[in-house]
Amino acid sequence: MSFLENPILRRELFSRLRSPKTFLAIVLVAVLSSLLVLLRWPSDATVDLVSQGAMQVFRPVAFALAVALMMLIPAFPATALVSERRRGTLALMLNSPTTPWQIYLGKFSGNVLLAFVILSVSLPALAACYAMGGISIVDHLGPLMLVLFGMAVQYTAVGLWVSSIVNTSDAGLRWTYAVVLALAVLSIGPTIFVGKLSGFNSLLAHWATAISPISALQSITGSQAQASEIGISTTWPNFLGASLIITVLLALVTVKRLDPRRLERARPTGKVIGRSKPTNRYAGWFRRVSYLVDPQRAKSNIPWWLNPVMVKEFRTRKFGRLHWLIRLISVSGVVSLLLTVVAATGTVSWGVERIAPTMVLLQVALLLLLGPCLGANLIAAEVESGGWELLRASPISPLRIMIGKLMSTIWTLLLMLLATLPGYIVMGYIQPAMSGQVGNVVISLVIAVFMVTTMSACISAFCRTTAVATATSYAILLSIFAGTLLVWVARGKPFGPLFVERALLLNPAAAALAEMKTPGFAQYRLTPDGWYIGIGISVFCLAVLGLRIWQLTRPK
Amino acid sequence: MSDHVVETKGLSKSYGDFKALDDLSIYVDRGQILGFIGPNGAGKTTTIKILVGLSRPTSGSAFISGVNCSENASKIKRLVGYMPDRFGSYDNMRVHEYLDFFGAIFGINRRDRRKRIADVMELTETTYMQDKFVESLSHGMQQRVGIARTLLHNPEVLILDEPANGLDPKARIDMRQLLLRLAGEGKTLIVTSHILPELARICDTVAIVSGGKTRAFGPLDEVMRSLCPLRSYEVQLVVPEQMGQAESILRKTLRESEPLTVSTTERVLRFPTVRSEDELARVLQGLVAGDILVSQFREVASDLEDAFLSISAPGLSKT
Repeated sequence: MSFLENPILRRELFSRLRSPKTFLAIVLVAVLSSLLVLLRWPSDATVDLVSQGAMQVFRPVAFALAVALMMLIPAFPATALVSERRRGTLALMLNSPTTPWQIYLGKFSGNVLLAFVILSVSLPALAACYAMGGISIVDHLGPLMLVLFGMAVQYTAVGLWVSSIVNTSDAGLRWTYAVVLALAVLSIGPTIFVGKLSGFNSLLAHWATAISPISALQSITGSQAQASEIGISTTWPNFLGASLIITVLLALVTVKRLDPRRLERARPTGKVIGRSKPTNRYAGWFRRVSYLVDPQRAKSNIPWWLNPVMVKEFRTRKFGRLHWLIRLISVSGVVSLLLTVVAATGTVSWGVERIAPTMVLLQVALLLLLGPCLGANLIAAEVESGGWELLRASPISPLRIMIGKLMSTIWTLLLMLLATLPGYIVMGYIQPAMSGQVGNVVISLVIAVFMVTTMSACISAFCRTTAVATATSYAILLSIFAGTLLVWVARGKPFGPLFVERALLLNPAAAALAEMKTPGFAQYRLTPDGWYIGIGISVFCLAVLGLRIWQLTRPK
Repeated sequence: MSDHVVETKGLSKSYGDFKALDDLSIYVDRGQILGFIGPNGAGKTTTIKILVGLSRPTSGSAFISGVNCSENASKIKRLVGYMPDRFGSYDNMRVHEYLDFFGAIFGINRRDRRKRIADVMELTETTYMQDKFVESLSHGMQQRVGIARTLLHNPEVLILDEPANGLDPKARIDMRQLLLRLAGEGKTLIVTSHILPELARICDTVAIVSGGKTRAFGPLDEVMRSLCPLRSYEVQLVVPEQMGQAESILRKTLRESEPLTVSTTERVLRFPTVRSEDELARVLQGLVAGDILVSQFREVASDLEDAFLSISAPGLSKT
């Protein structure tokens, strides 16, 4: 069987190309790349002898394409194997003469070819950069395409690997994006934050930065000087080498996992301790001390004063179950206190003014990691599992369903914020003048919690599957929280201060950073207008959600 | 007000030009089991959804214990226990927690709920699986838990969509006994199933729908008589060598509309007929007069499948 005759490749590619999501992705990349060229196109008639103008157009286009690929490419492979397994079609394929390698390569190459299609629509924008002069095919456009290809290959391999491990499509999406984020962004962390390393550690940190496309893109777009400042010295060939190694390793592991015997998993039947065996009381006590919450303890009946839907959400959700949340909240509390102690003792030259933004960013990162996923599960998961039909057939009111579902997420996220309050209190004690600012930061973050929850729940109410709801929630919320920060990054050129301020008004995290007088944010007045916008968005989403839940519960 | 526990009067439901239900009128009395039969897309689920208050009819009305299903949906939800064809499982939830959740959303207070859960688990024989995760249960176990869930708020009427679907023979027998026990306790049941012999064993009344219309409705034996007037008879011989002789005697006696089939290996001759008992006695007399040694001369009972097939013949649904 020749490569192009691989039935899995043909099916994957054609089904992807027929999908409206692919069409949307293609349109998005085409619009984004063209828009960036238009925004950065020089307006003066001066001859650009040193090709700075072309580079100023080329640089954002290159980074935007990389970000778009990072967001779009992992989505398909992240669910490719797990959805086949859940539908039972993977077993059918493995039961045919098709080998695990053919299955893998079919899915892998289908996705990489799709990346080519998506990238091809950016060619007019890149051609415009080339036409400006100063951008060469050999030094810029060719390497950029190779790096983007390397990213597509690497992230497809990551998606397929994660998809072969997880049990649900939304878990596949969540973990794939987490791994992609770790590979692309966190891998440069050691070099930036730990500073200059020596010996073997230096070599490790160097190769870790090679995993990330950031250094490769910087070397292509002529930002080596900035990269060197923060200790990054890898180039695009290093990235391609690292991508190849990661792809091959992940391919080997994934194909190994496609062994039918390994796919057979016994369904966990659960084990409860404490219902009828009093002798296990001490073991249960030990587990509770060790893990804070004992998940094996027999649950008591739901009391009248608790919303049953909320309790059910806490007990059953796939991601963010109560025992894990309490542990996470404890860790958040300890980290915030440690950061504040570091600021107070002055062992590191970080003052409160540097610790506070770090804490805000950490909180927002946690909020964005947990919030969309919890919110996106609320309605879509219930519809997908068939539980919604049972709720509809019960006398519980739509309002009580909505309150129960929203509160299960809001409590979780607020608890996470509360965990970091001790840090802020200590901060206020160190610098009493900051108490008002801390109050405003807390208000901004609480608004962020409501925004994240209501928006993702609203999206969830319009989706039939959890995977789609999760991906859409992440995409929209990241556009608001990270997208507006990208606008802030491009302040001065092309975006003027008024435009940047208006964009930042949408982002409660930016309001919190501005309140803390974070460098770069101090000049913007984002409160209280930003709060009103955040509250307005939340109220609007809440109203839409309420209407949708009423629509979903009423007789058809 | 009617005495029937469940009653539909001229129930119709349209989706645009498509008529899912057309003038459906049926009723069920207390303690009875109604078998609701029809091919896929016949309108069974539409009817059920109207009865449980999840859908509104385009015209006509449906009542449960005198309560209008479309006008008082919240009251209906307390009167009916509904088990859809999909189980509706939650991850990481144990059977006891699952029942507790549904008890809570039906507003049963904590103390009563505890007792009620124990009772329904005992009735459905699910007590031993109370600490297992619901998603880890086999299909048969999940169906039992599903019935336990429908019984939690002690409804008068149970509406079960395909409860025997996918069950093994043992689980099917258990399910049948459970449904009969519930009917014995005075519950009114509406059961849909594609496994017609199963329904025939438990139903008092059947309603056969096709293309949204009621094709037959009434007590099981009446429906059978009206739908299957052609009775099937078989003659079993003692001596296999007499098969040819018996065949020629029967061929002389039977009409063209009574085609004879011969199974030599079974020593059996079969024919369908509309003859009266007297006429059939004369057929037997002819065989005996011809010195044929007959071991059995009996009617082969028509089953619900025959009735169903006679109703859902191709083209009928379009009429």
